[in-house]
Amino acid sequence: MNRRYTRALLIFAVLLIIPLQSYAATPKETVETGVNNIIGTLTDPAFKAKSKDAQITQLGDVISQIFDFEELSKRTLGREWKKMNAEQQKEFVPLFKELLQGVYADRLLAYSDQKIIFDKETMLKKGSAEVQSFLQTSDGKKIPLFYRLTDKSGSWKVYDVIIEGVSMVKNYRTQFREILAKDSAEKLLQILRDKVGKG
Amino acid sequence: MKKPWAVAAVVVAVIFSVLFLFGPNPAGAFNNEATLYLAQATQATDDQQSDAAKEDADDAEDADDDYDDDDEYADTEDVKLIPDPWIEMNQGIYVFNDKMYFWVLKPVARGYGFIIPIELRQGIRNAFYNIRFPVRFINCLLQGKFRKSGYEFGQFFINTTAGCLGLLTPAANYPHLQTSPEDLGQTFAVWGFGSGAYLMLPFFGPSSLRAGMGRLGDTFLDPIWWLFDDIWVSLGIRAGETVNDTSLRIGEYEALKEAALDPYVMIRNAWVQNRNKLIAE
Repeated sequence: MNRRYTRALLIFAVLLIIPLQSYAATPKETVETGVNNIIGTLTDPAFKAKSKDAQITQLGDVISQIFDFEELSKRTLGREWKKMNAEQQKEFVPLFKELLQGVYADRLLAYSDQKIIFDKETMLKKGSAEVQSFLQTSDGKKIPLFYRLTDKSGSWKVYDVIIEGVSMVKNYRTQFREILAKDSAEKLLQILRDKVGKG
Repeated sequence: MKKPWAVAAVVVAVIFSVLFLFGPNPAGAFNNEATLYLAQATQATDDQQSDAAKEDADDAEDADDDYDDDDEYADTEDVKLIPDPWIEMNQGIYVFNDKMYFWVLKPVARGYGFIIPIELRQGIRNAFYNIRFPVRFINCLLQGKFRKSGYEFGQFFINTTAGCLGLLTPAANYPHLQTSPEDLGQTFAVWGFGSGAYLMLPFFGPSSLRAGMGRLGDTFLDPIWWLFDDIWVSLGIRAGETVNDTSLRIGEYEALKEAALDPYVMIRNAWVQNRNKLIAE
Protein backbone atom coordinates (compact mmCIF):
# COMPACT_ATOMS: atom_id res chain seq x y z
CA MET A 1 0.00 0.00 0.00
CA ASN A 2 2.67 2.34 1.08
CA ARG A 3 4.71 1.35 -1.90
CA ARG A 4 1.89 2.09 -4.26
CA TYR A 5 1.60 5.54 -2.81
CA THR A 6 5.27 6.05 -3.26
CA ARG A 7 5.02 4.99 -6.86
CA ALA A 8 2.02 7.19 -7.46
CA LEU A 9 3.83 10.04 -5.86
CA LEU A 10 6.86 9.36 -8.03
CA ILE A 11 4.78 9.32 -11.17
CA PHE A 12 3.09 12.44 -10.08
CA ALA A 13 6.42 14.07 -9.42
CA VAL A 14 7.70 13.01 -12.83
CA LEU A 15 4.57 14.30 -14.49
CA LEU A 16 5.04 17.55 -12.69
CA ILE A 17 8.61 17.90 -13.87
CA ILE A 18 7.99 17.07 -17.54
CA PRO A 19 5.66 19.94 -18.34
CA LEU A 20 7.84 22.28 -16.33
CA GLN A 21 10.82 21.39 -18.44
CA SER A 22 9.01 21.65 -21.70
CA TYR A 23 7.57 25.00 -20.69
CA ALA A 24 10.94 26.51 -19.92
CA ALA A 25 11.26 28.58 -23.08
CA THR A 26 14.39 28.29 -25.21
CA PRO A 27 16.41 31.46 -25.83
CA LYS A 28 14.89 31.82 -29.28
CA GLU A 29 11.35 31.44 -27.96
CA THR A 30 12.05 34.01 -25.28
CA VAL A 31 13.27 36.56 -27.80
CA GLU A 32 10.49 35.78 -30.26
CA THR A 33 7.78 36.12 -27.63
CA GLY A 34 9.33 39.31 -26.30
CA VAL A 35 9.72 40.93 -29.70
CA ASN A 36 6.23 39.88 -30.76
CA ASN A 37 4.89 41.38 -27.53
CA ILE A 38 6.62 44.63 -28.34
CA ILE A 39 5.28 44.67 -31.90
CA GLY A 40 1.83 43.73 -30.60
CA THR A 41 1.95 46.65 -28.21
CA LEU A 42 3.15 49.05 -30.88
CA THR A 43 0.40 48.13 -33.32
CA ASP A 44 -2.37 48.14 -30.70
CA PRO A 45 -4.84 50.98 -31.46
CA ALA A 46 -5.37 51.63 -27.73
CA PHE A 47 -1.61 52.11 -27.38
CA LYS A 48 -1.44 54.52 -30.28
CA ALA A 49 -4.04 56.74 -28.64
CA LYS A 50 -1.89 57.23 -25.52
CA SER A 51 0.43 60.13 -24.81
CA LYS A 52 4.07 59.69 -25.68
CA ASP A 53 5.18 59.50 -22.04
CA ALA A 54 2.62 56.79 -21.31
CA GLN A 55 3.73 54.94 -24.43
CA ILE A 56 7.36 54.98 -23.35
CA THR A 57 6.44 53.74 -19.85
CA GLN A 58 4.34 50.91 -21.25
CA LEU A 59 6.99 49.90 -23.77
CA GLY A 60 9.57 49.98 -21.00
CA ASP A 61 7.51 47.44 -19.05
CA VAL A 62 7.26 45.13 -22.06
CA ILE A 63 11.00 45.43 -22.71
CA SER A 64 11.95 44.74 -19.11
CA GLN A 65 10.11 41.40 -19.23
CA ILE A 66 12.82 39.89 -21.42
CA PHE A 67 15.86 41.79 -20.13
CA ASP A 68 18.07 40.98 -17.17
CA PHE A 69 19.16 44.49 -16.25
CA GLU A 70 21.31 43.44 -13.33
CA GLU A 71 23.36 41.10 -15.49
CA LEU A 72 23.49 43.78 -18.16
CA SER A 73 24.78 46.35 -15.64
CA LYS A 74 27.38 43.96 -14.26
CA ARG A 75 28.68 43.13 -17.69
CA THR A 76 28.74 46.72 -18.77
CA LEU A 77 30.72 47.86 -15.75
CA GLY A 78 32.92 44.74 -15.66
CA ARG A 79 35.64 45.15 -13.10
CA GLU A 80 34.29 48.55 -12.06
CA TRP A 81 31.16 46.84 -10.73
CA LYS A 82 33.12 45.25 -7.91
CA LYS A 83 34.67 48.59 -7.05
CA MET A 84 31.28 50.14 -6.42
CA ASN A 85 29.72 49.79 -2.98
CA ALA A 86 26.41 48.00 -2.53
CA GLU A 87 24.43 51.22 -2.42
CA GLN A 88 25.93 52.52 -5.62
CA GLN A 89 25.27 49.18 -7.33
CA LYS A 90 21.70 49.30 -6.16
CA GLU A 91 21.19 52.76 -7.58
CA PHE A 92 23.05 52.06 -10.80
CA VAL A 93 20.87 49.21 -12.10
CA PRO A 94 17.51 51.05 -12.22
CA LEU A 95 19.15 54.23 -13.54
CA PHE A 96 20.83 52.41 -16.39
CA LYS A 97 17.62 50.48 -17.01
CA GLU A 98 15.68 53.70 -17.31
CA LEU A 99 18.20 55.21 -19.69
CA LEU A 100 18.14 52.19 -21.99
CA GLN A 101 14.37 51.79 -21.85
CA GLY A 102 13.91 55.44 -22.77
CA VAL A 103 16.33 55.20 -25.66
CA TYR A 104 14.94 51.98 -27.06
CA ALA A 105 11.30 52.86 -26.55
CA ASP A 106 11.93 56.07 -28.46
CA ARG A 107 13.53 54.16 -31.34
CA LEU A 108 10.75 51.58 -31.30
CA LEU A 109 8.13 54.27 -31.68
CA ALA A 110 9.75 55.07 -35.03
CA TYR A 111 9.13 51.45 -36.04
CA SER A 112 6.87 51.19 -39.05
CA ASP A 113 6.31 48.10 -41.11
CA GLN A 114 9.73 46.49 -41.00
CA LYS A 115 9.67 42.74 -40.82
CA ILE A 116 11.62 40.83 -38.18
CA ILE A 117 13.07 37.53 -39.25
CA PHE A 118 14.20 35.15 -36.52
CA ASP A 119 17.14 33.05 -37.46
CA LYS A 120 19.25 30.54 -35.58
CA GLU A 121 20.09 30.26 -31.92
CA THR A 122 23.61 29.37 -30.80
CA MET A 123 24.64 28.17 -27.38
CA LEU A 124 27.69 29.98 -26.09
CA LYS A 125 29.74 28.90 -23.13
CA LYS A 126 28.45 28.88 -19.56
CA GLY A 127 24.71 29.31 -19.74
CA SER A 128 24.65 32.00 -22.37
CA ALA A 129 23.16 31.92 -25.83
CA GLU A 130 22.90 34.08 -28.89
CA VAL A 131 19.74 34.51 -30.94
CA GLN A 132 20.14 36.00 -34.39
CA SER A 133 17.40 38.02 -35.99
CA PHE A 134 17.21 40.40 -38.92
CA LEU A 135 15.24 43.55 -39.38
CA GLN A 136 14.08 43.77 -42.97
CA THR A 137 13.47 47.30 -44.21
CA SER A 138 10.96 48.19 -46.90
CA ASP A 139 13.62 48.23 -49.63
CA GLY A 140 14.83 44.73 -48.86
CA LYS A 141 17.87 45.60 -46.73
CA LYS A 142 18.57 43.25 -43.84
CA ILE A 143 19.92 44.69 -40.62
CA PRO A 144 21.41 42.06 -38.29
CA LEU A 145 20.06 42.27 -34.75
CA PHE A 146 21.56 39.72 -32.38
CA TYR A 147 20.54 39.08 -28.79
CA ARG A 148 22.75 37.61 -26.08
CA LEU A 149 20.94 35.78 -23.32
CA THR A 150 21.79 34.24 -19.97
CA ASP A 151 19.83 31.78 -17.84
CA LYS A 152 21.29 32.97 -14.55
CA SER A 153 17.96 34.12 -13.18
CA GLY A 154 16.36 30.72 -13.89
CA SER A 155 14.89 31.60 -17.25
CA TRP A 156 16.50 33.03 -20.35
CA LYS A 157 16.90 36.79 -20.23
CA VAL A 158 18.59 39.19 -22.63
CA TYR A 159 21.74 40.93 -21.42
CA ASP A 160 23.08 42.40 -24.65
CA VAL A 161 21.83 43.52 -28.05
CA ILE A 162 24.24 43.55 -30.97
CA ILE A 163 23.17 45.67 -33.92
CA GLU A 164 25.32 45.43 -37.06
CA GLY A 165 28.17 44.08 -34.99
CA VAL A 166 27.94 46.84 -32.38
CA SER A 167 27.38 45.45 -28.90
CA MET A 168 25.38 47.78 -26.69
CA VAL A 169 27.12 46.50 -23.56
CA LYS A 170 30.58 47.02 -24.99
CA ASN A 171 29.65 50.44 -26.27
CA TYR A 172 28.41 51.71 -22.92
CA ARG A 173 31.32 50.05 -21.18
CA THR A 174 33.74 52.23 -23.13
CA GLN A 175 31.82 55.33 -22.18
CA PHE A 176 31.61 54.36 -18.49
CA ARG A 177 35.31 53.58 -18.41
CA GLU A 178 36.17 56.91 -19.94
CA ILE A 179 34.18 58.64 -17.20
CA LEU A 180 35.47 56.43 -14.38
CA ALA A 181 39.07 56.94 -15.52
CA LYS A 182 38.74 60.59 -14.56
CA ASP A 183 35.92 60.68 -12.04
CA SER A 184 34.38 58.72 -9.20
CA ALA A 185 31.48 56.28 -9.35
CA GLU A 186 29.40 58.98 -7.67
CA LYS A 187 30.03 61.29 -10.63
CA LEU A 188 28.96 58.55 -13.06
CA LEU A 189 25.74 58.09 -11.11
CA GLN A 190 25.20 61.85 -11.20
CA ILE A 191 25.62 61.88 -14.99
CA LEU A 192 23.11 59.04 -15.27
CA ARG A 193 20.66 60.81 -12.97
CA ASP A 194 20.89 63.96 -15.08
CA LYS A 195 20.46 61.94 -18.25
CA VAL A 196 17.24 60.26 -17.14
CA GLY A 197 16.00 63.46 -15.58
CA LYS A 198 16.34 62.67 -11.88
CA GLY A 199 18.72 65.37 -10.81
CA MET B 1 45.04 62.93 -63.84
CA LYS B 2 42.40 60.60 -65.16
CA LYS B 3 44.68 58.38 -67.20
CA PRO B 4 44.74 54.72 -66.13
CA TRP B 5 48.45 54.69 -65.40
CA ALA B 6 48.07 57.68 -63.10
CA VAL B 7 45.30 55.91 -61.22
CA ALA B 8 47.39 52.78 -60.96
CA ALA B 9 50.36 54.81 -59.73
CA VAL B 10 48.25 56.43 -57.01
CA VAL B 11 46.85 53.08 -55.87
CA VAL B 12 50.34 51.58 -55.75
CA ALA B 13 51.62 54.66 -53.89
CA VAL B 14 48.81 54.37 -51.35
CA ILE B 15 49.50 50.68 -50.83
CA PHE B 16 53.22 51.26 -50.35
CA SER B 17 52.73 54.17 -48.01
CA VAL B 18 50.44 51.97 -45.92
CA LEU B 19 53.07 49.24 -45.98
CA PHE B 20 55.69 51.74 -44.96
CA LEU B 21 53.60 53.33 -42.25
CA PHE B 22 52.27 50.27 -40.50
CA GLY B 23 54.10 47.23 -41.74
CA PRO B 24 52.34 43.89 -41.96
CA ASN B 25 50.89 42.65 -38.71
CA PRO B 26 52.04 39.06 -38.12
CA ALA B 27 49.01 38.32 -35.97
CA GLY B 28 46.80 38.68 -39.02
CA ALA B 29 43.79 40.84 -39.60
CA PHE B 30 41.37 38.71 -37.68
CA ASN B 31 43.27 38.79 -34.45
CA ASN B 32 44.82 42.20 -34.19
CA GLU B 33 43.22 42.84 -30.84
CA ALA B 34 46.32 41.60 -29.08
CA THR B 35 48.37 44.40 -30.60
CA LEU B 36 45.72 46.89 -29.66
CA TYR B 37 45.73 45.72 -26.09
CA LEU B 38 49.48 46.07 -26.01
CA ALA B 39 49.12 49.54 -27.44
CA GLN B 40 46.69 50.29 -24.66
CA ALA B 41 49.07 48.83 -22.13
CA THR B 42 51.85 51.15 -23.20
CA GLN B 43 49.52 54.10 -23.02
CA ALA B 44 47.95 53.30 -19.69
CA THR B 45 49.26 55.49 -16.94
CA ASP B 46 48.52 53.63 -13.74
CA ASP B 47 50.21 50.31 -13.11
CA GLN B 48 47.15 48.34 -12.27
CA GLN B 49 45.53 49.23 -15.54
CA SER B 50 48.54 48.33 -17.61
CA ASP B 51 48.91 45.00 -15.85
CA ALA B 52 45.32 44.15 -16.54
CA ALA B 53 45.74 45.14 -20.16
CA LYS B 54 48.75 42.88 -20.52
CA GLU B 55 46.79 39.99 -19.10
CA ASP B 56 44.05 40.72 -21.58
CA ALA B 57 46.55 40.74 -24.39
CA ASP B 58 47.70 37.28 -23.35
CA ASP B 59 44.14 36.08 -23.18
CA ALA B 60 43.22 37.56 -26.51
CA GLU B 61 45.74 35.39 -28.30
CA ASP B 62 44.24 32.04 -27.42
CA ALA B 63 40.61 33.05 -27.00
CA ASP B 64 38.98 34.39 -30.11
CA ASP B 65 35.50 34.11 -28.70
CA ASP B 66 34.65 36.65 -26.02
CA TYR B 67 33.18 34.07 -23.73
CA ASP B 68 35.79 31.40 -24.15
CA ASP B 69 37.42 32.08 -20.87
CA ASP B 70 37.45 30.85 -17.32
CA ASP B 71 36.73 34.24 -15.90
CA GLU B 72 33.06 34.93 -16.18
CA TYR B 73 33.43 38.56 -17.13
CA ALA B 74 36.62 38.17 -19.09
CA ASP B 75 34.91 39.78 -22.04
CA THR B 76 34.27 42.90 -20.06
CA GLU B 77 37.79 44.23 -20.34
CA ASP B 78 38.11 45.05 -24.03
CA VAL B 79 37.52 48.71 -23.61
CA LYS B 80 39.63 50.60 -26.08
CA LEU B 81 39.77 48.86 -29.43
CA ILE B 82 41.72 51.54 -31.23
CA PRO B 83 44.49 53.93 -30.18
CA ASP B 84 43.42 57.55 -30.27
CA PRO B 85 46.57 59.67 -29.85
CA TRP B 86 45.11 62.68 -31.69
CA ILE B 87 42.02 62.86 -29.53
CA GLU B 88 42.03 66.67 -29.19
CA MET B 89 42.13 67.19 -32.95
CA ASN B 90 39.57 64.42 -33.49
CA GLN B 91 37.20 65.89 -30.95
CA GLY B 92 37.54 69.28 -32.61
CA ILE B 93 36.66 67.77 -36.00
CA TYR B 94 33.79 65.89 -34.40
CA VAL B 95 32.34 69.15 -33.07
CA PHE B 96 32.74 70.63 -36.56
CA ASN B 97 30.94 67.66 -38.17
CA ASP B 98 28.21 67.85 -35.55
CA LYS B 99 27.61 71.54 -36.25
CA MET B 100 27.75 70.94 -40.01
CA TYR B 101 25.06 68.30 -39.60
CA PHE B 102 22.67 70.41 -37.56
CA TRP B 103 23.29 73.76 -39.26
CA VAL B 104 23.76 72.79 -42.91
CA LEU B 105 23.20 69.18 -43.86
CA LYS B 106 20.03 68.49 -41.90
CA PRO B 107 18.08 71.60 -43.00
CA VAL B 108 19.12 71.06 -46.63
CA ALA B 109 18.22 67.35 -46.48
CA ARG B 110 14.88 68.21 -44.83
CA GLY B 111 13.98 70.64 -47.61
CA TYR B 112 15.11 68.18 -50.24
CA GLY B 113 13.10 65.38 -48.62
CA PHE B 114 10.09 67.65 -48.55
CA ILE B 115 10.22 68.09 -52.33
CA ILE B 116 11.36 64.66 -53.52
CA PRO B 117 9.16 61.66 -52.70
CA ILE B 118 10.74 58.97 -50.53
CA GLU B 119 10.49 56.26 -53.20
CA LEU B 120 12.62 58.30 -55.58
CA ARG B 121 15.14 59.09 -52.84
CA GLN B 122 15.47 55.38 -52.04
CA GLY B 123 15.87 54.72 -55.75
CA ILE B 124 18.66 57.27 -55.98
CA ARG B 125 20.40 55.73 -52.99
CA ASN B 126 20.11 52.29 -54.59
CA ALA B 127 21.48 53.58 -57.90
CA PHE B 128 24.52 55.07 -56.17
CA TYR B 129 25.13 51.77 -54.41
CA ASN B 130 24.82 49.98 -57.72
CA ILE B 131 27.20 52.23 -59.63
CA ARG B 132 29.88 51.73 -56.96
CA PHE B 133 29.92 48.02 -57.81
CA PRO B 134 33.52 48.16 -59.13
CA VAL B 135 34.82 49.25 -55.71
CA ARG B 136 33.21 46.28 -53.95
CA PHE B 137 33.96 43.83 -56.75
CA ILE B 138 37.66 44.68 -57.06
CA ASN B 139 38.12 44.61 -53.29
CA CYS B 140 36.51 41.16 -53.15
CA LEU B 141 39.08 40.02 -55.70
CA LEU B 142 41.95 41.72 -53.86
CA GLN B 143 40.93 39.79 -50.74
CA GLY B 144 40.63 36.52 -52.63
CA LYS B 145 36.90 36.31 -51.93
CA PHE B 146 35.96 34.97 -55.33
CA ARG B 147 32.58 33.56 -54.37
CA LYS B 148 31.59 36.89 -52.88
CA SER B 149 32.77 38.72 -55.99
CA GLY B 150 30.45 36.44 -57.94
CA TYR B 151 27.54 37.44 -55.71
CA GLU B 152 28.44 41.09 -56.16
CA PHE B 153 28.47 40.64 -59.91
CA GLY B 154 25.13 38.82 -59.84
CA GLN B 155 23.59 41.58 -57.77
CA PHE B 156 24.98 44.26 -60.07
CA PHE B 157 23.82 42.44 -63.20
CA ILE B 158 20.26 41.90 -61.95
CA ASN B 159 19.84 45.38 -60.51
CA THR B 160 21.32 47.09 -63.56
CA THR B 161 19.15 45.23 -66.06
CA ALA B 162 15.89 44.31 -64.32
CA GLY B 163 16.24 47.13 -61.80
CA CYS B 164 16.55 50.06 -64.25
CA LEU B 165 20.24 50.90 -63.66
CA GLY B 166 19.97 50.05 -60.01
CA LEU B 167 17.08 52.35 -59.08
CA LEU B 168 15.20 49.24 -57.99
CA THR B 169 16.66 46.25 -56.17
CA PRO B 170 15.13 43.09 -57.66
CA ALA B 171 18.27 41.23 -56.51
CA ALA B 172 16.97 41.62 -52.95
CA ASN B 173 14.74 38.63 -53.77
CA TYR B 174 17.87 36.48 -53.72
CA PRO B 175 19.10 36.70 -50.12
CA HIS B 176 22.42 35.00 -50.80
CA LEU B 177 23.35 37.81 -53.19
CA GLN B 178 23.12 40.32 -50.34
CA THR B 179 26.69 40.66 -49.20
CA SER B 180 28.38 43.08 -46.86
CA PRO B 181 30.26 45.71 -48.86
CA GLU B 182 34.02 45.37 -49.21
CA ASP B 183 36.35 48.35 -49.45
CA LEU B 184 40.08 49.00 -49.63
CA GLY B 185 40.38 49.64 -45.90
CA GLN B 186 39.05 46.14 -45.29
CA THR B 187 41.39 44.78 -47.94
CA PHE B 188 44.35 46.31 -46.10
CA ALA B 189 43.10 44.69 -42.89
CA VAL B 190 42.82 41.29 -44.56
CA TRP B 191 46.34 41.74 -45.90
CA GLY B 192 47.49 42.11 -42.32
CA PHE B 193 47.98 45.84 -41.77
CA GLY B 194 47.18 47.26 -38.36
CA SER B 195 44.40 49.79 -38.09
CA GLY B 196 46.63 52.69 -37.13
CA ALA B 197 45.32 55.57 -35.08
CA TYR B 198 41.70 56.63 -34.93
CA LEU B 199 40.98 59.54 -37.22
CA MET B 200 37.91 61.75 -37.36
CA LEU B 201 37.66 63.09 -40.89
CA PRO B 202 35.89 66.36 -41.63
CA PHE B 203 32.64 65.66 -43.55
CA PHE B 204 33.28 61.90 -43.74
CA GLY B 205 33.18 61.09 -40.03
CA PRO B 206 34.94 58.33 -38.09
CA SER B 207 37.86 56.55 -39.71
CA SER B 208 41.34 55.27 -39.01
CA LEU B 209 44.65 55.73 -40.78
CA ARG B 210 44.08 52.41 -42.52
CA ALA B 211 40.45 53.09 -43.41
CA GLY B 212 41.29 56.65 -44.46
CA MET B 213 44.00 55.43 -46.85
CA GLY B 214 41.52 52.87 -48.13
CA ARG B 215 38.94 55.56 -48.71
CA LEU B 216 41.45 57.58 -50.71
CA GLY B 217 42.37 54.56 -52.81
CA ASP B 218 38.73 53.59 -53.34
CA THR B 219 38.06 57.00 -54.85
CA PHE B 220 40.02 55.89 -57.90
CA LEU B 221 37.93 52.75 -58.29
CA ASP B 222 34.74 54.79 -57.98
CA PRO B 223 32.99 55.44 -61.32
CA ILE B 224 31.67 58.75 -59.96
CA TRP B 225 35.28 59.86 -59.95
CA TRP B 226 36.50 58.61 -63.32
CA LEU B 227 33.29 59.02 -65.34
CA PHE B 228 33.56 62.80 -65.16
CA ASP B 229 36.52 64.85 -66.27
CA ASP B 230 35.69 67.83 -64.10
CA ILE B 231 36.52 67.28 -60.44
CA TRP B 232 33.80 69.75 -59.40
CA VAL B 233 31.16 67.66 -61.14
CA SER B 234 32.31 64.60 -59.17
CA LEU B 235 32.32 66.55 -55.93
CA GLY B 236 28.89 68.02 -56.69
CA ILE B 237 27.47 64.56 -57.32
CA ARG B 238 28.99 63.34 -54.05
CA ALA B 239 27.46 66.26 -52.17
CA GLY B 240 24.10 65.51 -53.74
CA GLU B 241 24.43 61.89 -52.74
CA THR B 242 25.16 62.90 -49.16
CA VAL B 243 22.06 65.08 -49.03
CA ASN B 244 19.97 62.26 -50.50
CA ASP B 245 21.30 59.71 -48.00
CA THR B 246 20.88 62.06 -45.07
CA SER B 247 17.26 62.78 -45.99
CA LEU B 248 16.57 59.06 -45.48
CA ARG B 249 18.37 58.92 -42.13
CA ILE B 250 17.18 62.00 -40.28
CA GLY B 251 16.67 61.14 -36.64
CA GLU B 252 19.27 58.38 -36.46
CA TYR B 253 22.16 60.57 -35.41
CA GLU B 254 19.94 62.50 -33.02
CA ALA B 255 18.84 59.26 -31.32
CA LEU B 256 22.43 58.10 -31.08
CA LYS B 257 23.45 61.34 -29.42
CA GLU B 258 20.49 61.15 -27.07
CA ALA B 259 21.49 57.65 -25.99
CA ALA B 260 25.11 58.54 -25.36
CA LEU B 261 26.79 59.72 -22.21
CA ASP B 262 29.74 60.80 -24.33
CA PRO B 263 28.82 60.90 -28.05
CA TYR B 264 32.44 61.13 -29.19
CA VAL B 265 33.42 57.96 -27.30
CA MET B 266 30.21 56.21 -28.32
CA ILE B 267 30.77 56.87 -32.02
CA ARG B 268 34.42 55.84 -31.86
CA ASN B 269 33.57 52.54 -30.21
CA ALA B 270 30.56 51.81 -32.40
CA TRP B 271 32.56 52.57 -35.53
CA VAL B 272 35.38 50.20 -34.53
CA GLN B 273 32.98 47.41 -33.55
CA ASN B 274 31.11 47.72 -36.83
CA ARG B 275 34.35 47.92 -38.80
CA ASN B 276 35.70 44.77 -37.15
CA LYS B 277 32.55 42.95 -38.15
CA LEU B 278 32.84 44.12 -41.76
CA ILE B 279 36.50 43.06 -41.88
CA ALA B 280 35.63 39.61 -40.53
CA GLU B 281 32.96 39.12 -43.21
